[in-house]
Amino acid sequence: MVAAVELSISERVQLQFEVEQFLYFEASLLDERKLDEWLNLCAEDIHYWMPIRRTTTAKEVAREFTAPDAMAFFNDNKAMLALRVQRLSVGRAWAEDPPSRTRRFVSNVRVLDVVGDDIRIGLNFHLYRTRLDSEEDSWYGRREDVLRRTPNGFNLAQRHIFLDQTVILAQNMSNLF
Amino acid sequence: MNTALQPSTSMPWFDVNKGILDRRIFADPAIYKLELERIFARGWNFVAHESQIPATGDFFMSFIGEDQVIVVRDRKGDVQVLINSCPHRGNTVCRAEQGHTNSFFCSYHGWNFDLDGRLVGMPGEEAFYRKDIDKAAWGLTRAAQVTSYRGFVFATLDAAAPPLEEYLGWVGRLGLDMMASKGELEVVDGVVKNRLKCNWKLAVDNLYDWYHVGVSHGSAMRLGLLTTEGNAPDSQMVILGEYGHGIGGPGISEAQFADMESRLVHGKAGEPQWYDRTGINRLSAEVRAELGPVGYRSLGHPSIFPNLWIALTNQICLRIPRGPFETELWWFTMVPKSLTAEQRREAVFVATHYFGPAGLLEQDDGENWSHSTRGAQGSVSQRRPVNYAMGIGQDRVYEDSSGQSAIETVVNEHGQRWTYQAWQEWMLAEDWDALKKNHSQPPRGSV
Repeated sequence: MVAAVELSISERVQLQFEVEQFLYFEASLLDERKLDEWLNLCAEDIHYWMPIRRTTTAKEVAREFTAPDAMAFFNDNKAMLALRVQRLSVGRAWAEDPPSRTRRFVSNVRVLDVVGDDIRIGLNFHLYRTRLDSEEDSWYGRREDVLRRTPNGFNLAQRHIFLDQTVILAQNMSNLF
Repeated sequence: MNTALQPSTSMPWFDVNKGILDRRIFADPAIYKLELERIFARGWNFVAHESQIPATGDFFMSFIGEDQVIVVRDRKGDVQVLINSCPHRGNTVCRAEQGHTNSFFCSYHGWNFDLDGRLVGMPGEEAFYRKDIDKAAWGLTRAAQVTSYRGFVFATLDAAAPPLEEYLGWVGRLGLDMMASKGELEVVDGVVKNRLKCNWKLAVDNLYDWYHVGVSHGSAMRLGLLTTEGNAPDSQMVILGEYGHGIGGPGISEAQFADMESRLVHGKAGEPQWYDRTGINRLSAEVRAELGPVGYRSLGHPSIFPNLWIALTNQICLRIPRGPFETELWWFTMVPKSLTAEQRREAVFVATHYFGPAGLLEQDDGENWSHSTRGAQGSVSQRRPVNYAMGIGQDRVYEDSSGQSAIETVVNEHGQRWTYQAWQEWMLAEDWDALKKNHSQPPRGSV
């Protein structure tokens, strides 16, 4: 494992640029509802996970998030993600018919470490969703993604989503993060 | 003056004979306020499962109507249900959803309460109060009665409520037994919570609704997550119990049990991992005996009035009112402790992906309920009552020699009608004495 700080400044600048361009690109695929294309960017062994966050006392804040073997909002492998994407194409997926409109922002992108082809990054995100005439949802959180270098560019090998909400203040999460 | 609250007839909101419901009950703030008093503050409410608070000092925050309650294991090992409001100024004394504590300390002035709610001290007891305060009289408000049924903790805020087992009756107990008969249960960490813009009753009545599945969950059907065979629209069983409890959904025959056994025990090539494993424990003779000759054939959804749904996926769901137009759904997942690691993983996987806001089934429900609530708010739309009349007068209650009874029929709205009939009786009754006298017994004969 190579910690990001061990890379030279020019290596870090180049890596930062590549990583950010990929993040913007895959976010645009989701915003533009090109979900099949997005799915193609996912590695076969992707782990897509959003644990549940709880309000705890400051003393017990280590127990804020559920563990990977406990309940979660998302705990998907590639087959499950494919099912979510497929669901939207078979009809009667009312949560997204009419489709929601989404806008994704990522910021505070940091390369955390590099292990072989895998680049682990941390970032903050904002996902805004609106639908029909007046529905609005706004999700903020932190992500820990793993981008994997392949001959065809980056693949997404991990997306761990740490939302800032505890009770989800939305009627559903029919969108991907 | 709200005329809706001064009813001059015995059926001001729901015409039991026609199955016609005044939809203003989904929108009227005065009705909502009365529900908090006459239903939530009066009935027995599920608040937690014992496995969530195994040790002294463990607590889980829950709700009875809009009263927030702390469910906590006290120093004697008993479960206490305490209203989370300091009697000094009303502030909350606990702000975490769950955790472990030695006492509940009010962050406003420092009144400190033991795990059983007793006021044990406060700053300035000598210097400012000059010892002139009766601490015994100023503890946290305790639920009037707390009882655990096979690990499911219920509380009522009304001292006049009948004992829990009497309140549940055989139908409510059967619903809980369907879960408890799987073995000693433990809640998997993480209660899935989200908030919908719907009236709570629309979420509740949906649990009986096997009519919506093919349409609302059409996408899940097309993906094979649900099957028409599993939903059994032509083989439905409805069991109705006192005070509004009920169980509705597939009722399966011996032939279907045999098919289930071949699928669940011996496996079937190409069977998707999503098939329903609910029935697997029904194959055991002990469980059949425990659930009774009618009960064991029901793979329906039990409802404990007012707002607990026992789902088929090792989960239960509370529908917590948050005002007339908002409802929180809380999903608790509970699995037998005896499961192997692999079985447990599978149970958690299914629970994660069916229900909850990101669940492949449930994400399509919320908008239907919120728009039904919206439809109760238009000044003209709300004048038109809504139709809960499917199958009314078409069926009969079958009474087994064991004393259990059920309606065996096709997809229907008996459960929804029973819910609103009971709801109306609860709303009209001044107190428990009146409700005990004036509530309907489950129907017999034609229904």
